[in-house]
Amino acid sequence: MLKYLMAKNEDIPPGSAAVYFGFSAITWFVIGTGLGAFNAAKLAFPDFVTGLEFLSFGHMRQVHVHAVIFGWISMAFGMAMMYITPALGNTRLWSEKLGIWNAFLWNVGLSLGLTVLWFGMTSGREYSDFPWFIDLYIVAFIAVPLGINVWMTIIHRRTQGIYTTNWFFGAATFMLIIVFIVGNLPEYFHLTGLTEAYLTWWFAHNVLGLWITPVAAAIAYYTIPKVTGNPLYSHRIGHLHFWSVVVFYSTPAAHHLMSAPLPEWLKSFASVEGVLILVPAIAFVSNILLTMQGKWNMFVENLEVRFTVTGCLMAIPLNMQGGFQQTRAINWYIHGTGWIVAHAHLALLGFSTFLEAAAVYLGLQTIMKRKLYSLTLGNIHFWLLLIGFTTYWVSMTIAGLIQGAGKIYEVPYIDVVIAEHPYMIARWIGGSLVFTGNCIWLYNMWMTARAGTVVPEGRMPHELAYER
Amino acid sequence: MSWRFDAPLVTLSDDATTKKNETLWETEMLGGLTEDNNPVPAPVVWLVFLTVMTAFCVTFPLWGQRPTAALYAPYVNSMDKPEVLAAKDDAEAMQRIVAMNKGTSNDALLERHPLTMDDLRLIKDQVKALEAKHVDLRDYTVVGDHVVIANFEGNYRPDGTRIRQQPWWDKGYTIDVFYLSYFFLAVFLMIKRLPPTAWQPRHGHGASH
Amino acid sequence: MNFREYKIGARFFALALGGSMTITLLMPSFDINNVSATEVAMDKQLWAGAESGFNLDDPFLLGWHKPLKVLLKTDPKTGQPMEPTYAYVYEKGTTFPGGVLHPDNLGGIAKQLSIEKGRIKEASKNVGAVFLVKADEQKHYYIENATATMGWTPEAVEKAAGDENTLHAAAGKTLFVREGCWWCHTLLPEQTQDWQVFGAPPMLGDFNGESPTAFGSDRKAPDLLHVGSRNASKEWMMLHFFNPRLVQPHSIMPRFDYLWGPVDANGKKIDFPKWRAEYNEYREGKRITPPEVPMYARNSEIRSLIDFVLTLK
Repeated sequence: MLKYLMAKNEDIPPGSAAVYFGFSAITWFVIGTGLGAFNAAKLAFPDFVTGLEFLSFGHMRQVHVHAVIFGWISMAFGMAMMYITPALGNTRLWSEKLGIWNAFLWNVGLSLGLTVLWFGMTSGREYSDFPWFIDLYIVAFIAVPLGINVWMTIIHRRTQGIYTTNWFFGAATFMLIIVFIVGNLPEYFHLTGLTEAYLTWWFAHNVLGLWITPVAAAIAYYTIPKVTGNPLYSHRIGHLHFWSVVVFYSTPAAHHLMSAPLPEWLKSFASVEGVLILVPAIAFVSNILLTMQGKWNMFVENLEVRFTVTGCLMAIPLNMQGGFQQTRAINWYIHGTGWIVAHAHLALLGFSTFLEAAAVYLGLQTIMKRKLYSLTLGNIHFWLLLIGFTTYWVSMTIAGLIQGAGKIYEVPYIDVVIAEHPYMIARWIGGSLVFTGNCIWLYNMWMTARAGTVVPEGRMPHELAYER
Repeated sequence: MSWRFDAPLVTLSDDATTKKNETLWETEMLGGLTEDNNPVPAPVVWLVFLTVMTAFCVTFPLWGQRPTAALYAPYVNSMDKPEVLAAKDDAEAMQRIVAMNKGTSNDALLERHPLTMDDLRLIKDQVKALEAKHVDLRDYTVVGDHVVIANFEGNYRPDGTRIRQQPWWDKGYTIDVFYLSYFFLAVFLMIKRLPPTAWQPRHGHGASH
Repeated sequence: MNFREYKIGARFFALALGGSMTITLLMPSFDINNVSATEVAMDKQLWAGAESGFNLDDPFLLGWHKPLKVLLKTDPKTGQPMEPTYAYVYEKGTTFPGGVLHPDNLGGIAKQLSIEKGRIKEASKNVGAVFLVKADEQKHYYIENATATMGWTPEAVEKAAGDENTLHAAAGKTLFVREGCWWCHTLLPEQTQDWQVFGAPPMLGDFNGESPTAFGSDRKAPDLLHVGSRNASKEWMMLHFFNPRLVQPHSIMPRFDYLWGPVDANGKKIDFPKWRAEYNEYREGKRITPPEVPMYARNSEIRSLIDFVLTLK
């Protein structure tokens, strides 16, 4: 891939940027989940690897979080945008070369950023932990070039209309830039106190709500119709989904600080808006599931559809949790407990990862014109991810309820720690399963590139039978 | 390349179908080959309506979770009653106090925040002092042996001080009402402006062609 | 739907996003900015300094250019005994906290008093300054620049206080951020019952000038906002940081023995492998007592961290 950095744009085969993004994403996923499993082991067995500052939990946790969010999830998004946006515009990517540079600078910047975090150079603000120079790098060399490529491709499309997926891609890349600039104002201008705390959570909420959630959903809007052959059920529900994401998802940041002394009116507003994130969720889930009608056999037979629909089904518990856990009536019980950790993993490892994995599977096969090397390995990946995630989610939810009860009944804190211990071990096992699955995936994809059956001209990979 | 970037429509189809699809793709207005023009299903509309209703109902302060000074003021005032003083020990005294103050709207809260006589003695003077100042006792929280002003930043009183309580209705809800109305109005207008659902392209599953 | 529709769509998008940001960012900013700093906020920003996260004064979060909180028992100018007072020492080159740099941050009466009576505008980074938190007769708190009002220089104050009365709390907060303590310990007691255990909740003005607030969100360990009031024992903290399982067998906190640095208080090299081997023997039941925890050196990182924890009252 690196040889294309200096090549002329015309000489770069279409889809190269997507392949570069795709393999980078899988690699970051392996790294990110590996770190996650390592961290989980430290929580379960506190004397596991001890005495080394750079292998301590406090130095590694944020590296895990940022490797999966900005490495795996966001680069998988980049991958999807590099091949879905032009496909839906019936055109070529605006600049394949910009795409390659984008992926290259992304990997460089993220490696730098994670190293910096690892060494403890952090802003001390959750989710916007990167120091401001990394934030500026992300805006200038990651978010803006990605946005330009997506917007220019949409502008140069050869279709009349713009398909739903591309509304989301165009809008989300723009919103990511805004979120990075505004959300990091406390660092650029040294804002302090509650302003700083509130903006921290404004960033954290919106980087999930205006970047990860809409783009993941947009990917499903492409993969399901493309692979099943069914048209997306409704353009109208698509509108309801898109506009409710922009209007409702961008507002409830204050619900992360329900126990801080923010103005009550802000909490009331945020709390109502927080329940209303169920509106885009209802629109999204209904649209995808209705699109599946008549093709449910593919849920069993086709790997990409299985991944996408599983992710989509996970959006239901995800949003039921997300909508209600932030209200005053429930928040005081579960805030700050493992419940929230479980919820965050349901969003990122459940809902969004499954949708992106489908896009990466589908995209890499189509662009490299190679059928997936092994369905068996693909199935193992799917089940390891699903079982690993479920183990994690169930154990952390239980741990969270224990913590909540401990909080309410004023149980000495150490008793809560003791009660949680089995679930910490379960969490580590779940994380290790996910990590193992991803190693298998990387191997499978690598072998697909090397030894997958060539897909003939004019065929899509899902039309060919699996061979192994 | 199986999937040509400059011609992504090439699939299993024969040339004629591809040609037809290409024309459709390049002229149709809804934005893509794989998008249908179905109406928003009634259950989805109902679910959205239900969500809005629930959003307001569930966020109203249905129950206060914080033990306020107002909650314990009746306990404190009962401490000097003869039947309490006549109790043989603290446990019995507390039982009598609790029994004496049953039947108010605070029953559930008091049950969730039980106190002992020793706790009451610690906060007694502070509560009495606040009562003497004629402040709203619900603005104060009992934290262990301290009675402190609550950290709610609620609505303002006419004199400019803040009400330190979870409000029933505040500016946030008012903004919500307007915000939601604008949203649903805009989405309604937009959906109504789309072509009628009978409009092509339709790609199958049961609709009439 | 022709191109015009997308233009309208883009405008609606701008309107929706702009409207959302107006309500959630602009409108609350008026409320939050109108708040005056409380006594807690003045104390906290003066001991924590301008910024505890990444900044150019301390890019590697090693505790460079941080203020000191000292307990004065004698007047640094005259040497006469005085009422014990906390002073905040900013040596030459140390950036002042938000409230001193931007008195608007203090808000209302606190700003006025700090400028008029406290003379904070005369403080200069080039010479350093010593600050105090004072209250007037009506109990209005303000920041006083003791270098301007009483001629206390940073050097004299440090000397008068002595090392045993000096708290490296600001450097400690930097460590709190760097070592990721806030991934497990929150600095914001939750509602109700939580307060009964972890202490009173903070008020709106308690954070002015503090950055980062480091509330934390994922609590795997006790809240620390008032930990100094619950447990003020340096010895306990020392054992607990070196190996939490020495004082709390079920703790899942990591060991922070690496913060001791290479040598102990007597300048003797600490033999970590030996300590760990002996500790393992103790854990396996081959020893009756755990090995002795070395006393930390005066300038070690753990000293700042313990000072920080004990400052959280």
